[in-house]
Amino acid sequence: MATLTPQAPSPASTAAPGRGGIWEWITTTDHKKIGILYGFSSILFFVVGGVEALFIRLQLAVPNGEILSADAYNQMFTMHATTMVFLVVMPIASAFANYFLPLQLGARDVAFPRLNAFSYWLYLAGALFLTVSFFVGGGADGGWFGYAPLSTQVTEVVRMDYWSLGLQVLGVASIASSVNFITTVLTMRAPGMTLMRMPVFSWMVFIISFLLLFSLPMVTVGLIQVFLDRNIGTLFFDAANGGDPVLWQHLFWLFGHPEVYVLILPAMGIVSEVLPTFARKPLFGRSFVIFSGIAIGFMGFGVWAHHMFTSGLGPVAEAAFALTTMFIAVPTGVKIFNWLGTIWGGSLELNTPMLFSLGFIFLFVIGGLSGVTHSIVPADSQQHDSYYVVAHFHYVLFGGAIFGIFSGIYYWFPKVFGKLLNERIGKVNFWLMFIGMNLTFAPMHVLGLNGMPRRTYRYAEGLGLDVWNLVATIGSLVLALGIAVFLYNGWRTFRKGEVAGPDPWDARTLEWTTSSPPPEHNFDRIPVVHHEDDFWHQKYTTDEEGRAVAIPADLRPVVAEGPDEDIHLPSPSYHPALAGLGIFVMLLGLVYVPWGLIAVGVGGIGFLWGMFGWSLEPLVRGDH
Amino acid sequence: MQIDRLERIFLFLTVTLLAGVLMAIVLSVVHDGAELPTQAGRINVAEVRDTAPFDAPGVYETAPGKYQAVIIAKAWAFEPAEIRIPVGAELTFVVTSIDVIHGFQVWDTNVNAMVIPGQITEVSRTFDEAGEYNIVCHEYCGIGHHGMFGKVVVSG
Repeated sequence: MATLTPQAPSPASTAAPGRGGIWEWITTTDHKKIGILYGFSSILFFVVGGVEALFIRLQLAVPNGEILSADAYNQMFTMHATTMVFLVVMPIASAFANYFLPLQLGARDVAFPRLNAFSYWLYLAGALFLTVSFFVGGGADGGWFGYAPLSTQVTEVVRMDYWSLGLQVLGVASIASSVNFITTVLTMRAPGMTLMRMPVFSWMVFIISFLLLFSLPMVTVGLIQVFLDRNIGTLFFDAANGGDPVLWQHLFWLFGHPEVYVLILPAMGIVSEVLPTFARKPLFGRSFVIFSGIAIGFMGFGVWAHHMFTSGLGPVAEAAFALTTMFIAVPTGVKIFNWLGTIWGGSLELNTPMLFSLGFIFLFVIGGLSGVTHSIVPADSQQHDSYYVVAHFHYVLFGGAIFGIFSGIYYWFPKVFGKLLNERIGKVNFWLMFIGMNLTFAPMHVLGLNGMPRRTYRYAEGLGLDVWNLVATIGSLVLALGIAVFLYNGWRTFRKGEVAGPDPWDARTLEWTTSSPPPEHNFDRIPVVHHEDDFWHQKYTTDEEGRAVAIPADLRPVVAEGPDEDIHLPSPSYHPALAGLGIFVMLLGLVYVPWGLIAVGVGGIGFLWGMFGWSLEPLVRGDH
Repeated sequence: MQIDRLERIFLFLTVTLLAGVLMAIVLSVVHDGAELPTQAGRINVAEVRDTAPFDAPGVYETAPGKYQAVIIAKAWAFEPAEIRIPVGAELTFVVTSIDVIHGFQVWDTNVNAMVIPGQITEVSRTFDEAGEYNIVCHEYCGIGHHGMFGKVVVSG
C-alpha cells in the first residue's frame, strides 16, 4: 500500500483520464479507472451488438430477404444476444458499480483492488475471445441459450466451443467482481453509513452481486458439460445415450432468469437515484424500494421454468411456476408506484437524465405487463418462441435496462469526466431512441400474435407479416441514428463540453461532495454520515410546512477540518492483466486440441506468473 | 387500522383485478379447452423408427371423429408434412424428435409444444373450421430452421 500525503497528491489524481499513457491503464488498480475501462469497452461492444441487430433487421425488412445467408443470420442473432447481455449490459452496470459504489459509500476504493483489475481483464479476454470467433470460422450460431443437443453436436465447426469457453470466463469475471462488491459493501462503508442509509443504487449492486454469486455456478457447470460433450465425448445431454437435453434447459434458466434481474436491477437503482434528484424530493418509500429489490432477488430463483412451459413439465410444475411468475410482478409493481410517488408533486426538472428515467418507467411498464401475460400458462402457450416474446424482453431490456443506463450516463458523466453532456443534443438523442425503440419493438407484438416464429432468417410473402416487419426495420434505423447522436454528443463533450462543478445537479448522495472528476483518493476526509441522502441534509433543512430550505453556505456544518493523515491507496500492478492475458491464450489453445495444448501451456505459465506475482508483490508502491 | 378512502379503493381494485385475472385463467382452461402439451412417455432416440407408433408416421382414425397424427420431427422437416382430417375431428398430435430440440406450433390454434429428443409429446385439438393450418418449427434447430414447416388440412 502506498501512503500518500494529501499535501502532495499523486499527479494521477489531477491528470485528466487518458493522459497517463497506456501502461498506467494496464496496471491501474484504481476503481475509477477500472470503471472507465469497463464503460468504454461496453460502449464499444454496444456498437458491435447494434450493428449485428441492424443486420438482422435489414434481412427481415422484406419477405425472402437477401442480405444474409441462413448461416450468417444464425450467427448474427446468437452473437447479438450474447454480446448485448454479457458484453454490454452486465459490464456497463459493472462500470457504474466500480466507479460509484466506493464513492457512494464514502470509501477510497473497493475491498480487493487487484481482484477488481483482474475481473476487468478477464471480462476483456472473454469478450475478445467471443468476438474473435467471427474471424476464424464464424461466430457462435447455437442461440444465446445454446440448447443442447443442437449446441453439443460434434462437427468440424468450433463456434460453440468459442461460445462455451468465452461465457465461462465472463462468468468467472462476474463472480470475482461480485465477491468484491459484497465485501466492499459489508466492510468499507463510511462511519454512520448504515446499510439502510446506503444509496439505492449501491443496494441494487449489492443485491445483484448475490444473484450472480449464486446463479453463475449453475451455468458454469452446464457450460463445462457442453464443452466436454463436444470435445471428449461425454453424453450429459445426449438423449440417444441416456443423457437429458432438458437438464441443460434447467441449468441454463436457473442461471438465466436471475440473470434477467441482474440486467434490470442496476437500471432500477440508477432510476432511483435520478428521480429524487430531479424531482427534488426524497425517494418515496425508500425502504420499500430496497426490500422489493431483495424480494425480486429471492424470487428470481423460483421462476426459471416459465421459459419451459411448452416442454411438457406437467401440470403441477406449470401451475407452481405460473404462480411464482405472477408473484414476482408484485415487488416490481411496488417499485413502479414508488417511482410515481417520487415524482408526484415534485418540482420536476425535465433534463436528459430525467427524460431517460421517465422513459424507463413508461417502457418498463409496457414490458412488465406483457411479461405478466407469460405467467398465464394457456396464453404463454400461444406466445412461446414467437416474436411476442422478442417484443416483451426488448421492452424490458432496451426500454428498461438500456434507458436506465443512458439515464445513468447522462447523470454521472459530469462526475466522471468533469464536463456536462450537451442538453440539446441529449434531448434529440432521447427522442430518437424513444421513438425508434417503440417503432422497432411494438410491431413485434403483432408479428408474434400473427405467428411469426423466432430465429427464422426469412419468411414467405403473403403471410401477413410484411408490413410490420418493414415498420420494425425503419424503427431500428431511427434507433441507430439516436445512438449515433449519443456518440457524437460524447465526442463533442470531450472536446468542448461545459465544465461541471462538483455538484451540477444539486444532488443528494456522497459522490457529489467530491470534485469532478474525483481525486485519486476520492475524499480528502472520509465523510461521517448522519442521514439517508446525507449530502442533501448538509445543504437543506425543512421549514415548519416540510418545504426544503437551503442552508446558507456559511452556516452549513463543517464537514472536513483538513484532510486525513494517512491515505492508503492500492499500488498499481500489471499482474492482473498478465493473468487475464494468460487465460485468453489458454482458451484459444483449448479450442484447438491437440496442437493447441502448446498454447494452453504458454497461457497457463502466463496465468500462473500473474497469480504468483500478484500474491508475492510487495504492498508498498516502491519508489513511486 | 385507519386506511385512507382512496387507498381502500385502490386496494380493492387491485385485488379485484388479480382475482379477475386468475378467474380468466381458470375459465380459459375449463371453458375454452386450453390444452398444454404433456409428456406422454419416453422413447429411445436411436430406435424411434423401430418403435410403435413411430415406425409408421401418419394420420390414423382411432375412434369415430378422433384422429391421431404420429409425427417425427427431424432437421429440418416434419414427417409427414401434411395432415388431412375432416372438419370437426379431434386430432391428437403425437410427436417426437430424432435429433435436436424442435418446436411444434400450429398457427391460429393453441397448439404449441417443444419437441424434445427422447420424449414423446402429446397435444390435442378439435378442428371445427375447415381450412389450412400451418405447422411451424419455432424452436431454433440449426441452419434449415426457417424451412421446417408442415400443414394441417381440414376439409369440410
